[in-house]
Amino acid sequence: MDVAIIDYYANHGMSFLHRASTLPKIAFAVLSIASVVLTSDLYLLLGIYISLAALVIWSRLPIMRILSIAAYPAIFALIFAVASWNGSWVRAGVIIMKALTAALTMVILIVTTPYPDIFVSIRPVLPKIIAEALVMTYRSIFILLELMNNLVKALRVRGGLTRRRYVSNVVNFSTGIGLLLIRGLDLSEKFYGVMTVRGYGGKISAAERKGKPGINDICIALIGLLIFAAGLVIRFGTGMRDISIFVLVFSVLIFFVSVITVPHLRT
Amino acid sequence: MHIPDGVLPLWIVIAGWMATALILYFCISRVKRVDVRRKIPLIGIVSALMIVGMTLEIVPIAYHVNLSIIAGILLGPSLAFIAVFIVNLIIAMFGHGGITVVGLNTLVVGAEAVLGFYIFLMFRALISKDSPGWISALAVIVSLFLSTCIMLGIVYISHAEPPKSIKVSNETVNTESESVETSITEKKLNFGRFAKTVFILAPLGWVLEAAVTGLAVGYIARIRPDLILPEAT
Repeated sequence: MDVAIIDYYANHGMSFLHRASTLPKIAFAVLSIASVVLTSDLYLLLGIYISLAALVIWSRLPIMRILSIAAYPAIFALIFAVASWNGSWVRAGVIIMKALTAALTMVILIVTTPYPDIFVSIRPVLPKIIAEALVMTYRSIFILLELMNNLVKALRVRGGLTRRRYVSNVVNFSTGIGLLLIRGLDLSEKFYGVMTVRGYGGKISAAERKGKPGINDICIALIGLLIFAAGLVIRFGTGMRDISIFVLVFSVLIFFVSVITVPHLRT
Repeated sequence: MHIPDGVLPLWIVIAGWMATALILYFCISRVKRVDVRRKIPLIGIVSALMIVGMTLEIVPIAYHVNLSIIAGILLGPSLAFIAVFIVNLIIAMFGHGGITVVGLNTLVVGAEAVLGFYIFLMFRALISKDSPGWISALAVIVSLFLSTCIMLGIVYISHAEPPKSIKVSNETVNTESESVETSITEKKLNFGRFAKTVFILAPLGWVLEAAVTGLAVGYIARIRPDLILPEAT
């Protein structure tokens, strides 16, 4: 989980997805995940995953990097797949693809939308204390990441983290975590002092970008609707279940066309 | 262990959200008694620290420290539960845990923080007040064992009566009409096998988390003892 690189992609991208408004992108994520939750069809799940991979290419983001960021839940899904193993690869495939597809959807949302924009959109449905703490957490992550990087560098330079000395490495690293905690808690006191001076009264303002819905918004909302409709039809439609194989073939085609036609970063 | 999306039935996912919402409501109403404005930067920093801790993965086994028990010891149970919810929400956005199961994951990790706090208090009263490092390490082992049991309980309940889903499609692969299913017909999970797998993998994580937490708490107790259990909110 590379928080800094995710933030960089979200803030420096110029693709149609980056330019789309936050709410249509959240709607796309909700619809895609609803489709993943609804369906138990391996072909459809593969189709959605490959379509999302094509979307990453269209977003001009490094495809392998994004797929690897979204691959983490597969490890936990694998434990469920092993426990559900009955000799059928389909069962294992469905469990792993569900986790992978949902994670890729969320990663696409977060690498194309700055976190504060997402926060502003979900703020109305959250209790005030959680909404405010979310902003504080986001601001603090990068400060602590820098402190952590400096700490690791300092430990390495002074021989605190060396190969094959696992016990002393754990001791030094854990003491470093303790130091980071103390610095972090001191920092929170400083934050509070500075914010009080600036007139903090229990609400941190976050700017909301407003504009008319454009073609990018319509495109991403439509993609979400299509994915949801496919999930719905294959789950509940009678005589429509063989559609999943067509969805898979279609998504593979789109993926290859995207790879050939869209200039993108491969790593 | 983070529960990923799509592996548990919808009803338990919704129940997880409802239970988390109820506990959050209770925690927030408790926190309102203290100075909330002062606590928000504190929750933010501790949540951020938990996320930074999670970025340091041991790659082949995907293990990382949670620091949830430290959050419990430093913030108290209510604030720690709020911090755990924030952490789960943010890491779900980073594709790290399931977004639909944020409620269930918050219950499991939140239980770690809350139980960790109370077990730390209990061991402190029963064993010794002079060795917070060892006591917190013990509290980590016990609370991680209990939270793993809670996670297993959630999985057991959700698969006690496997919900039947419709058979979605069959594909004929040869002329002899041998068919291969392309979808699962029911979500059957061998719970015994699942529990064994978890209990084989988990202890390494418990020991690592206990070592990191024990050493970090020991260090904090030496340098800034006032930070340990500042107030039980």
